[in-house]
Amino acid sequence: MVRQFLFLLFSLWSIFSALLVVLLPNPVYSLISLLSTLIAISGIFFVAGAELVGAIQLMVYAVAIPIFYVIVLTALPWEKAYKRESHYRSEGILTFPLLIILYLQILFVLVSGILISPKGQIRGLIKKFGNSQVIGAILFNRYFLPFEVISLALLLGMIGAILIGRKEEKTYGQDSR
Amino acid sequence: MAKIPVEWYIIVSVVLFGLGIFGIIVRRNLLTILFCTELVLNAINVAFVGADENLNLAKGQIFSLFIIGFAAIEAAVGLGIIVSIFRYRLVESSDELTDMKE
Repeated sequence: MVRQFLFLLFSLWSIFSALLVVLLPNPVYSLISLLSTLIAISGIFFVAGAELVGAIQLMVYAVAIPIFYVIVLTALPWEKAYKRESHYRSEGILTFPLLIILYLQILFVLVSGILISPKGQIRGLIKKFGNSQVIGAILFNRYFLPFEVISLALLLGMIGAILIGRKEEKTYGQDSR
Repeated sequence: MAKIPVEWYIIVSVVLFGLGIFGIIVRRNLLTILFCTELVLNAINVAFVGADENLNLAKGQIFSLFIIGFAAIEAAVGLGIIVSIFRYRLVESSDELTDMKE
């Protein structure tokens, strides 16, 4: 009962602040509601019994990634953004049917996937060792290669971000405008 | 402890996913488009963890960890692209970037 109440609380909180992310015109307020959404989603993870993912969500996602965005928000002058309109209003209304079609597609995939999915293979293991240990055991046995590929992808992303974001002497934008 | 049915997680995930896609379509600012991308990634994570809890598996949580890692990469590269677009063009709105159209 308490668990369902907490789940409802966190899910309503996350959906409400996700609405604020989409609707608020100011990027700073939008960022703060994104932070609130991430914290609420980590609450959903804790309710679901995924302590490791919830803790990583709190420590890495809800702290590090909004700080990236805050740094970029403070580094760029946003005065122009406040003068313009912040949403595509008519385009949003026009593309809403496409969104519903996308929803129907997702629903079809989900229903057909739930019907054939396996049930409860390692329930005993989780009861015996606890969630984090089981995740560690699986991650470093079966999924060790994807784990290493993630580290390689992080390195590539870092190199790419530095290459993209560095300052160049000459740009083709200077002579065109 | 009472078990939460998997449909509830799926409903939360689908609502968050739709909000994120709608935000990507609707927002004008490049940075808020990235915020909405984060919403989409988190919606996928909720679905993974909820299905995991209901099926008594642990693989979905591993994939949600991978998704968190790729979200970090996406934030770094996307912010680099936005900063360089702003620096070269002095543009922060997605309707001013029409070079591919012309």
